Amino acid sequence: MSQQNVITSLAQSANLSMKEFFLTMQEFFHFSVRAFATIPKLRRYWRDFLDQATIAGTDSLPIVLVSSISIGALLAVEVGNLLEDFGAKTMLGRSTALSIIRELGPLIMGLMLSARYGSRNGAELGAMKISEQIDALRAFGTDPVAKLVMPRLTAALMVFVPLTAIADFTGLYSAALIAEHYHKIDPGIFWNAVFPRLVFKDFVVGFLKAPVFAIIITLVSSFNGFIAKGGTAGVGRSTIKGIVVSSGLLLVANFYVSKLVLENM
Amino acid sequence: MIELQEVSLCYGDKKILDKVSLSIKDNKIKAILGPSGVGKSTILKLILGLIKPNSGKILIDGVDITPLKESKLYPIRRKMGIVFQGNALFDSMTISENLGFFLRENLRLTEQETEKRVQEQIAFAGLQGYEDALPEKLSGGMKKRVAIGRALIFKPAMILFDEPTAGLDPLSSKKILGLISSLRHKNNLGAVIVTHIIDDVFQVADTVSVLYKGEIIFDDETAKLHNSTHPFIKSILSDKILEQ
Repeated sequence: MSQQNVITSLAQSANLSMKEFFLTMQEFFHFSVRAFATIPKLRRYWRDFLDQATIAGTDSLPIVLVSSISIGALLAVEVGNLLEDFGAKTMLGRSTALSIIRELGPLIMGLMLSARYGSRNGAELGAMKISEQIDALRAFGTDPVAKLVMPRLTAALMVFVPLTAIADFTGLYSAALIAEHYHKIDPGIFWNAVFPRLVFKDFVVGFLKAPVFAIIITLVSSFNGFIAKGGTAGVGRSTIKGIVVSSGLLLVANFYVSKLVLENM
Repeated sequence: MIELQEVSLCYGDKKILDKVSLSIKDNKIKAILGPSGVGKSTILKLILGLIKPNSGKILIDGVDITPLKESKLYPIRRKMGIVFQGNALFDSMTISENLGFFLRENLRLTEQETEKRVQEQIAFAGLQGYEDALPEKLSGGMKKRVAIGRALIFKPAMILFDEPTAGLDPLSSKKILGLISSLRHKNNLGAVIVTHIIDDVFQVADTVSVLYKGEIIFDDETAKLHNSTHPFIKSILSDKILEQ
């Protein structure tokens, strides 16, 4: 094959990939708009909403607790050791509180839910797609986005905020226990460095991320389920794609929410 | 009445249907026969408006559905019921819930009327005692009968069957074909059957359209299929089951 043919072939392939990317983005945009536009139908699908709230909330609690406890403890060990070198161990409460409430609490919660809730959405909806259950909904006159996606979205929007609060609290509490038993810091000193120093802005940064993550995780994973094709292997591919894309977007969104709030408040 | 006028459909570079025209009359059973993967199921999805053609018109009772938005299609779709090849029953719902789901969703019936219709379909499908069972507990034939019951529950004028006997044992196939025949005789319903099994066509269909390489090569009464001189039809009449 001549050099010119190779270049033409590569250009055509890049052109097709770009076209496919923009078409998928357009489809995703319409899908997201429909998911929000059907929120007024929440009353009709309140049972689905409750089911999804249980899956995203109560059922996700163990993984959120385990991850936030371990991250809080690890942070306290490492930061405490570092502060000890500067003779500033009493600042441990403030530094762990800021890290957990602003960044790590919501981020760890988001990543865990992306893996747990997002993968469940992708696999379940993908399986429904390939077994024609989504077509059946449409064929018999039910909007599949209203029935399947909107309850997932509203449930995630509702439970992600309390889950963030729980992740923050358990993370901080485990840090306090490490401070007391490992670094031998009096609990009074630790907590005194936490609460009086935290300002409203710190909570805004942390808690604003919860609904943003809820939207990203639910819409990306559900959309990938809805476009699954190619049998069971296709469901696997769409589930993985949903988790990878939503986790990546979560990290980007985490940075921008922090930047925007800290710069503008 | 359903009418396809010069309907063409492509997936990427692949041409699935090429100016396909056919009409399906009320109270008649029409079979669409063709090898696997030729686009037969696609015709059913086009009739329901689940996918849009690249060109051509699809008329349901005189209304062209191709330009209609999804929300406008819902009432038209309810004139027809569909039985998917894999049944598409909802795994997490019991048989009763599967049957009653779309009634509760879309019709403002009393719970008593809904329950009455569900029980009618359970009796029709011969599934008494399985009301609270999940689909996974049923055999292939039983699932198919639930899917037919679900399609009938809206009291549609036409039912679309996608490979109704595919994957079933001979006895279950016979039962399903008997059920399809009885729909027309007892309930005065029309039906479209997409299949690659010629025996099914001769057993239940009044008319048949043969789809081959994206085109309709035969469209007439089932009995006249034997008179066709088309080489493909002559070959399939000897093979009985079509594989591409």
